Amino acid sequence: MSRLGGSAISVRHSSGIAASAAAPAPVDQDETCPVCKTTRYFNRDMEFLINPECYHRMCKTCVERIFKDGPNQCPYAGCHKTLRLRGFKSAFFADLTVEREVDIRRRVDAVFNKVEEDFETLDSFNDYLYMVECLTDDLVNGSDESRRKAESQLLEWEAQHKAEIERNRKLARESDETRQRRVAADKDATRQRRQLERQAEADEKVNALRFREEMLDSLQNAEMGRATEAMDRIMLKKRGQQKRDTVMDATAAAAGGLSIRGLREKKTAVVDEKPYDPYGGIVVAPDRIDVAPEKLAGYTNEWVESARTKTEFRAGGYNPDEYLTRVLFEAFSGLGVFISDERVEKGVPTAAAGGGNMDLDEPF
Amino acid sequence: MALSPVVTHTAESVQQTQQLARAISSPLKNFTSGQTSSSNGTPKLLAAPLVPAPTTIPVTLDLAEQMNDEEKRKYVKGKKLGEGTYAIVFLGHLRSKPSTLVAIKKIKVQKENDQGMAPDAVRELKHLQELQHPNIISLLSVFSSKDQNLNLVLEYLPLGDLEMLIRDTDNVRYGAADIKTWMGMLTRAVWFCHENFVLHRDIKPNNLLIAADGEVKLADFGLARTFADPMTNMTSHVITRWYRPLELLFDAKHYSGAVDVWSVGTVFAELVMRAPYLPGNTDIDQVKLICEAIGTPTEDNWPGVTKLSGYAVPAQHPVRGKDWYEMRFGTVGSDGVDLLMKTLILDPRKRITAHQMLEHRWWHSDPKPTRKQDLPKKDGPSADDKMGADLKRRPGVLDDDRGSKVARKLDFGA
Repeated sequence: MSRLGGSAISVRHSSGIAASAAAPAPVDQDETCPVCKTTRYFNRDMEFLINPECYHRMCKTCVERIFKDGPNQCPYAGCHKTLRLRGFKSAFFADLTVEREVDIRRRVDAVFNKVEEDFETLDSFNDYLYMVECLTDDLVNGSDESRRKAESQLLEWEAQHKAEIERNRKLARESDETRQRRVAADKDATRQRRQLERQAEADEKVNALRFREEMLDSLQNAEMGRATEAMDRIMLKKRGQQKRDTVMDATAAAAGGLSIRGLREKKTAVVDEKPYDPYGGIVVAPDRIDVAPEKLAGYTNEWVESARTKTEFRAGGYNPDEYLTRVLFEAFSGLGVFISDERVEKGVPTAAAGGGNMDLDEPF
Repeated sequence: MALSPVVTHTAESVQQTQQLARAISSPLKNFTSGQTSSSNGTPKLLAAPLVPAPTTIPVTLDLAEQMNDEEKRKYVKGKKLGEGTYAIVFLGHLRSKPSTLVAIKKIKVQKENDQGMAPDAVRELKHLQELQHPNIISLLSVFSSKDQNLNLVLEYLPLGDLEMLIRDTDNVRYGAADIKTWMGMLTRAVWFCHENFVLHRDIKPNNLLIAADGEVKLADFGLARTFADPMTNMTSHVITRWYRPLELLFDAKHYSGAVDVWSVGTVFAELVMRAPYLPGNTDIDQVKLICEAIGTPTEDNWPGVTKLSGYAVPAQHPVRGKDWYEMRFGTVGSDGVDLLMKTLILDPRKRITAHQMLEHRWWHSDPKPTRKQDLPKKDGPSADDKMGADLKRRPGVLDDDRGSKVARKLDFGA
């Protein structure tokens, strides 16, 4: 709340409507209506109302008298705002500058109702908060011009983000409800726990008393020399009781709701305008050798010729060009690769990242 | 905070302890533990570190073993995700950063090849080491644990596989845009393999795992190999039957990347139909299904096919036209059907290549592929187990648990 208080103070030093409306309130401001000059002495339950249009204070009787028959001008000298009966309300704060600022903030908040969860990074959330605060400050303390600008900005934002605002409002309402429910449940649980504790305390007292009596009884009844045995039995019973109690406590403590809030999960922006690349962005065309079929046809030897002509090769689909390409590749592989340049960094792709990195040092 | 000398001393001794403990896990272990382990199998040496280790202890680890230990210590093995005949899969995490999860695939020592490492594991290692692509599962590290068990550290893909999404017709719904995204990822993975001269040879929805961000990753390179030289024979007993092309069923010994493209086509069809497209019970049945669904291969549409050693066709069916495909796979649009038809061309030489697939106009026609973060997914415990189940499976076989159990029940002897 310090932020609110701080700007409220600065209001007093600024000029404009805000300042004129907030002229240091007279001590008897609660005593006399500035419009009809009725004093509290004559009207014990006099009530003051204001209109958020101009924040001029007047008594309820005046408001009804002036605005009953429809919109009218503010009775204050020099104030030409047209007010309606509907807009009047009683001020919550004695200091009307504070009242005005709170009203403005409420209005801005209703429009700029994003929460931390709507943002992916802290920076973007902070930027948003800064923007909202600047706008609010302009509305509260700014000059006429900056106020107008901020006002139009606010309206524009509202128009643009209508659906989003509505959605956030709904979410906020829901989360508010669940929170209230949780608080209520907590309170209930606390009350019950306290009651149980009280009960347990009482039980304990009764138990202790009974143990004591039992002990005395058994000691009395036990034969001579068996006293320790009887004691042991009683202590054992007591310990068992304690163990049961702790187990019960533990189960009671285990239950409890928890909700975590924070930044939204990161989602990378969708960029899908590029045409689909069937090759997935990988080029493996050799640049040192030409493997065009007509070039490969120039390479001959006995084996290749037999593979080209014999049916057993042809029918099986054997392709001598594939062989020639491989042989050419092998002949030239390694050329142009310098070990000093080669940095073997075989990253371990995580299950999530899925091996996006590839080192394709094709030695063509 | 000042450390007292006493603390420093203990830290040192702890280090020595670790060194000693590591020395135990060296191949020399069998020798030492034979003498020192007590009747209940606990190596007695573990208790020894209480005595300050003499500095004269020879470091039994050579450089390779030290490096292996260093690698091994980077990861912490967690709970078991699944166990099969071929491998055990554990969930693990980085010691330095516990939030980084990995899957550790421990290859079982198999009786039949006690001479060395399992060939599947070698293949997987060899090719995964080379391939770094967003749509191919990445191999983060390899180390051997005690008894020279091979451990592959793979990236952890928590969202199960494509098969799970295809099968769960009740809870998972997807459309043409989603299929396009998945197909794009799969095609890119296959293209990248071929571009690096690797044949995957076991493409199926089971082996398409889904990362946390929705990216589909091609896994299980247990049957992969590089493109063969002209005179080398390749085995035709690869690729799980339902996804196996005709040239392999006809026992061709020389084939190309076209075999993977056929698998991609059948996966494409399966994505649309939400049921295996050509679920043959036997190899002969598979040939029959292909002939019925796609057409019978003849010398006209596939020159030389009759010369293949395993060539045998049940009856003559005409090769299906576009409207037949349109009727079944119309949901992916005319362009999608065109691409599907081109991947399922009988003659491997006419079949589209992975590179040409990426050039196809389907990728640019409507609807635009879904962004990977918006893809339908299914999480929960079932997805978690799925990666374990997928990785432990022996490559190239169908997951038919029921049949195997029955067989075992009747197997009284041995």
